[in-house]
Amino acid sequence: MLEVQDLWAGYDDVAVVRGVSLRVADGEAIAVLGPNGAGKTTLFRSLVGLVRPQKGSVRFEGRPLHGLRPHEVVRQGVAYVAAERELFPQLTVLENLELGAYARPEGARQRLEMVFDLFPRLAERKGQRAGTLSGGEQQMLAIARALMAQPKLLLLDEPSTGLAPRLVAELYRRLETLRRQGVTILLAEQQVGAALGLCSRVYVLKDGGVAFEGEAADLRGSAQLRVAYLGGT
Amino acid sequence: MSVPWTRQAAPVVAVAAVLAAVPLGVGDSPYQMRIATLMLVLACYAVAFNLLFGHTNQLFLCVGALASLGGYLSVILVRDLKLASLAAVGLATVAAAATGGFLSYVSVRRGFGVLFVGIVTLAVSLIVHNLLLGLRDLTNGETGIVTRGLGMGLGDHPLKAYYVLLAVMVASLAAYRWLFGSRHGAALHALSEDEVSAELSGIDVTRYKVACAAGASALVGLVGALYADLNGFISPSVYAVGHVDIPVLVALLLGGMRTLLGPVVGAALFSLVDELVRPFGQLTVLAYGVLLVALFLLFRQGVVPVVQSALGRRVPALRAPSSRTAAKEEVAGGTEAGR
Repeated sequence: MLEVQDLWAGYDDVAVVRGVSLRVADGEAIAVLGPNGAGKTTLFRSLVGLVRPQKGSVRFEGRPLHGLRPHEVVRQGVAYVAAERELFPQLTVLENLELGAYARPEGARQRLEMVFDLFPRLAERKGQRAGTLSGGEQQMLAIARALMAQPKLLLLDEPSTGLAPRLVAELYRRLETLRRQGVTILLAEQQVGAALGLCSRVYVLKDGGVAFEGEAADLRGSAQLRVAYLGGT
Repeated sequence: MSVPWTRQAAPVVAVAAVLAAVPLGVGDSPYQMRIATLMLVLACYAVAFNLLFGHTNQLFLCVGALASLGGYLSVILVRDLKLASLAAVGLATVAAAATGGFLSYVSVRRGFGVLFVGIVTLAVSLIVHNLLLGLRDLTNGETGIVTRGLGMGLGDHPLKAYYVLLAVMVASLAAYRWLFGSRHGAALHALSEDEVSAELSGIDVTRYKVACAAGASALVGLVGALYADLNGFISPSVYAVGHVDIPVLVALLLGGMRTLLGPVVGAALFSLVDELVRPFGQLTVLAYGVLLVALFLLFRQGVVPVVQSALGRRVPALRAPSSRTAAKEEVAGGTEAGR
C-alpha cells in the first residue's frame, strides 16, 4: 500500500531523515519507534507533504505521493494526525468533524455516526469548542477528524503524548478497533509498550535512518533488543 | 448552510435601502454628497481588506497601490489609447486582480508569515508610489492628471457617482454573503483558524488565498478607477499609504473584522470622526487620535460584534453559544477526566 524508498528529508540543507525505506501492506499496523530527534515526525511530515522530500520516493497504491501538497495527499486517502493535534480551536467539535470530511463530503453522515460510535465522548461534546476539550478528548477529536476523510491509511504521530496512562490504554483500545475494521495504521510512538501491543511490525529509527526492522514480537520478546535500540524502555 | 437565501440577503438589502436613502437627506449639499461618496469608497476598500486580512490572514498594505493601479491605468488607457471608458475600467480591474493574485501566490508559496507579507506589500506600495512619481511622461509625476473627460463623467454627476459606488458596494457585500453561505465559507473559516489544519483537512489553502486576494484586488482596482473618475483628479498622494491603507485598516478594526457589516459601519464611523475633528484646525490630528483611542477602548472587537452580542443578550434566541458556557463545560469535563 505504502512504499517508501531511500527517503531523505529535512529543513533547508539539513537532512533529518536520511535514506529511510519502509513498506506498509494493506490492513497492517506498523510502528515507527525511536527516541526524540530520531526523525519520526519529519518522516511523517514528509510523507504527507508538509516537508518536501529532498531525495527518494514515496508511493501510495502505486502512485507517487512525493511532491504532492498536503491537501492532495488527503485526497489520495492518507490522513495525518500530528503530535500537536492540529485542530480548529474556536470551532465546535461537530464543525471540526465536518471540516474533516471536506475532501470527501459524500457519505459524511454515516462516517459521523461511525466516529461517534467509536468516541462516544465526542458525541456528548459536539457543540463544545475544540479548544476547551481536555487533552485526551482533543486527541480523540484529532483522530476522529482524520477518520472523517475516510482514509485508507492513517498516520498517527505520537498519539499518546501528554496523555495519562489510563487514557493511553483507552486510546489504544480504540486504535485496535480501527485496525480490526480494516484501517491501515502507521504510527510513530515513544510509548513502546503500547505500540508493540497494537502493531505487527516495527521500524526503529536512529539518527534519521532505520536501525532495526522486524516483527513486533521480536522486540516484545527480547529485552536485549529493546535496550539496544530504544534505550531500555 | 441551509439558511434560506431571503434571510441571507436581508442584512445586505437593509444596508442598501438605508444608504440609498442618504441622498434624500443630503442630496442638496455637494459637500455632504462628496463625504457620503468617499465613505462608500472607503467601505469598498474595507470589504476587500476584510477578505484579505480578516479571513485569509493576508496583511496587504498595498490597498492604495492597487487602487492607484486601477485609477492610473483606466485614465491612461482612455487618454493615450482612446479606449472606451468602461473597457478601460474593466482592464484596470483585471490588472489589479492579477497583481494582487500574483503577490498572494508568491507569499503563499514562499511561506511568508502575516507580518512579512505586510512588510513586502508595504515595500510594493512605496515602489508603486515612486514609479508614479518617476514615470513622468505617463503620469505627470507629482502634478497628477486631471481626469475630467477621461471617464464616465462621475465627477460631474455627484448623484450618479454615489449610486454607482453604492451598487458596487452592495454587490460586494452580496458576494461576501454568498461566499460565506456556501461550502467555501467553511473552508475560509477553517483556514483563518489554522492553515496547516485546513490543508490537512484537504482544503487547498493556496487556491483559496490566491482567489480571495485576486477577488479583493479586483474590487480595490475597480473602486480605484471609479474614484479617479469621480474625484476629477489623481496624483500619487491621493492613493498614498497614509491616505488609503491606514484609513482602511482603522475602519475595518473599528467596525469589526470577519463580519459582513463591520467594514461598512467602520467606514461610516471613520468618515464621521474625520468630519467631526475638522473644525479643530491644527489640533485635528490630536483630536482624531483621542477619538480613535476612545472608540477602540469602547469597542475592542469592533463595533459590529459588540452590538451583535449586546442585542443577543436581550434576545436570547439570537445568542450564539458563548465562550463562557464553553469554559464552564471545560471545567466539568476536566473534573470528570481527572476522576
